[in-house]
Amino acid sequence: MLSEQLREDIFSWEGIMTIGVITAFMIIIIGNSGCIDSESTDKESKTIKVSGAYALYPMMVVWADEYQKIHPNVKIEVSGGGAGKGMADALGGVVDMGMVSRDIYPEEIDKGAFYVSVAKDAVVVTINSENPVLDELNKRGVTREELVKIFITREIKTWGELVGKPEIKDEIKVYTRADACGAAQTWAEYLGDYTQEDLTYGADTGIMYDPDLAGAVARDKYAIGYNNINFAYDIKKESFVEGIRVVPIDLNENGKLDEDERVYGTRREILQAIENGIYPSPPARDLHLATRGGFKGETKEFVRWILTDGQEYIPENGYIQLPSEKIKAESNVLESGERT
Amino acid sequence: MKILRAFISMDSRRKKVVITTKLMLAASALVCALLFVIILILFSGSLPLLKQESIINILFSSFWNPGKGGFGLYPIIIGTVYVTGIAMLFSVPVSILSSIYIAEYAEGRVRNIIKSFVDVLAGVPSVVYGMCAIIVLVPLVRDYMAPFLGATSTGFCILTAGMILAIMVFPIIISICVDVFRAVPNELREVSYAIGATKWETIKHVVFRAAFPGVSSAVLLGFGRAFGETMAVCMVVGNIPRLSSSVFEPGTTLAAFIATNFGEMMSVPFYYSAMMLMALILILVVLIFNIIAKIIIRKSYGGGGR
Amino acid sequence: MNFRTTEENIFKILMFISLIAVMGSLIGIMAVVLIKGGAALSIGMVTTPPESGYYLGGEGGILNAIVGSVYLASGATVLAFFISIAIAIYLQREFTSSKAAGIIRTSLDMLWGIPSIVYGVFCFIVMMYLGIGTCLLAGIIALTMIEIPIMTRGMDEAIKMVPPELKESTYVLGSNRIETAIKVVLRQGLPGITSAVLLAFGRGIGDAASILFTAGFSDHIPASLFDSAAALPTMIFFLSALPSPEVRDRAYAAAFILLSIVLLISLASRLLTNKFSRYIIK
Repeated sequence: MLSEQLREDIFSWEGIMTIGVITAFMIIIIGNSGCIDSESTDKESKTIKVSGAYALYPMMVVWADEYQKIHPNVKIEVSGGGAGKGMADALGGVVDMGMVSRDIYPEEIDKGAFYVSVAKDAVVVTINSENPVLDELNKRGVTREELVKIFITREIKTWGELVGKPEIKDEIKVYTRADACGAAQTWAEYLGDYTQEDLTYGADTGIMYDPDLAGAVARDKYAIGYNNINFAYDIKKESFVEGIRVVPIDLNENGKLDEDERVYGTRREILQAIENGIYPSPPARDLHLATRGGFKGETKEFVRWILTDGQEYIPENGYIQLPSEKIKAESNVLESGERT
Repeated sequence: MKILRAFISMDSRRKKVVITTKLMLAASALVCALLFVIILILFSGSLPLLKQESIINILFSSFWNPGKGGFGLYPIIIGTVYVTGIAMLFSVPVSILSSIYIAEYAEGRVRNIIKSFVDVLAGVPSVVYGMCAIIVLVPLVRDYMAPFLGATSTGFCILTAGMILAIMVFPIIISICVDVFRAVPNELREVSYAIGATKWETIKHVVFRAAFPGVSSAVLLGFGRAFGETMAVCMVVGNIPRLSSSVFEPGTTLAAFIATNFGEMMSVPFYYSAMMLMALILILVVLIFNIIAKIIIRKSYGGGGR
Repeated sequence: MNFRTTEENIFKILMFISLIAVMGSLIGIMAVVLIKGGAALSIGMVTTPPESGYYLGGEGGILNAIVGSVYLASGATVLAFFISIAIAIYLQREFTSSKAAGIIRTSLDMLWGIPSIVYGVFCFIVMMYLGIGTCLLAGIIALTMIEIPIMTRGMDEAIKMVPPELKESTYVLGSNRIETAIKVVLRQGLPGITSAVLLAFGRGIGDAASILFTAGFSDHIPASLFDSAAALPTMIFFLSALPSPEVRDRAYAAAFILLSIVLLISLASRLLTNKFSRYIIK
């Protein structure tokens, strides 16, 4: 390996000092190639950090890609973590923008949260593709009341109970989100005056992160859960994610699924239903980008772009555009920095 | 000033000694201080909640719903105790028996191979354990173990977490126990054989008794590790902060809860403090176990060395 | 006589079963990781970063995590090395009273036992206070705090074993404490020190809890100390439970790489220890 003399030299007092100094030097150099506050005015390269709700994640990735094509000196880092993390990171200054898929709470506003709404999507109910009563469910749907009895009160315990076939004794396994997220909050609001904790209390398992929840439901035959649309429907194929089926909701509660309620086959169908107001809101909801104080600098540029040019990418990526008056209002909010 | 003048007038070799020694002292002091700084910061972070609610309420109430002002940590603490308890239940007998075999019965080559196995087990990252638990243990519990015992489970439950934790604790207990058994002086064994005891009787009555303090501290250290293990547990424990009535039900542990819910800190008042308090409890419990382990060692082995 | 041998035989069987349990667990884990990971591993996997949207698409590999992990673990190990070696040398009798040494060693033992998530939380609080976002630097600092107790303990053991007569003879020849420490003690303790460093590196590259909040996650390879960085363990944590098999494959490949690193470190530790024994005076 190293010769005796060389080894001796390395381990001498001078050697170690030199190694230490070189290392420190390298660290400083690498460190200065970035910047501490990503909002600094260094025009060389800007980094925008985004984290938060999985609901917005696929769309944000597309937006980031397209924006980086036009602005190659900007780097956008997108990560997940749930709406709770997005808001916490935004308020903590840890990221430039948080993606939030639920209503912003007043306490968060008090802490300085400022947001604009950028798109719309929905939460859907998911079950395993090999569920024993899948066909019945596709014919009759499930009413909100029944969903409350499945998710919250656990009065309906078996799949047979749900569809009126008592001979099917397989128990319903309820899955929910373990991390603080918008999907759970939105779903709980749809079910009634509930919160994510109520959902957690009634569930059999809490899984972290939206795509992982879909994964868990896909591997448990008797599972039921909920997901953002873009993690229940495959991005590319527009049909269901492997192993998952979406449960239709019997909206008029007449015990069967009418033609106009049969909107769950493909992502396009359900997006249409949401846009037409057939699929209720909640579980459909607006999606927001939040920050502390106000959007500044490159981040503000990015959000401005999202509210203008970026809107064209929404429909083909599995989301719904907010009505143009709303977008205009949000643009005004962005520019003024205030929400009246 | 006198010191400075004395320093400048030293020759370069002596200067190096003084500078280096001071640097080393600084490094050591920094590291010692780190422990206190961590505890201090966690404590000051939990103060808001501690002022708001009585500590009894927090520790023993089962109502966990921060949005509505409920900060009962009891289910989470009990969950931690359950999971750690199951892990130790599986791990301690298996580890001790294995250690006895490795230390007393195995011959050179075989012993080396087994020791290598244990070393590798010790180095496997906890997320890999968690991943394997999801692939192997979750279906095992869900499709075989639970139905066998007449229960239903999603597989994400206290039992699964306990099982994978047990495997993670093996190497800690085994490596310490093997060292402790090997350290028992041979004379003790010889005397026992001389009286006519068999090998096993010698182990049972002489070696084990002599090594008992070391074994206890190994178990305590293993307990501490299990108590604080985060990743593997949070991947399979179910993450529901609820008092479970069976091991096939989901639960959560202090560490897993912090990992999963660290996000929702800002919106709800006192949530942040509750998290800090949980981290504080974690660190204090683990420290207490470590301190007890050290005291046992010191008392029995006369305080020489570690 | 019969009763005594029966008891021995019963326990022998129990011991055998326990041993099977322990070895079987390891073999099981290795089997799962090697089979699933081996199937997922390819040249593309280790040389390309993932296409944007690592939860969704299957294209691309895990280069971001590999590089991130290397940066994180190397940075932390280097930093920890300097601090640990300083402390380990300082713990010798020449430098501190046994009382002070006792305090330092106890503190280190306490730090060794702290769960890594607590370090992560602590680092995150400091980060927030300083206004820094999730970045490579924060992850490195968190990992350094975890590695220091492990490394120092190993180094301390190695240095304690240096025979005092060896040191005495250097002092007689006029060496001062530092020169002895660096030129003689370190060389003598080299095998032990090397394994301590390797062990700490192995721990650093595999730890997820501490870097979960501090290093963040990213599709890109970190270009500066202030970029978020993906790492192999966090990749496994996020991706191993996803429905899409191509995305899961990334997690399995990451696990394969991590396990290989652990095995390599175990092997290297053994080999280097033997090799460096040449430089020891026995």
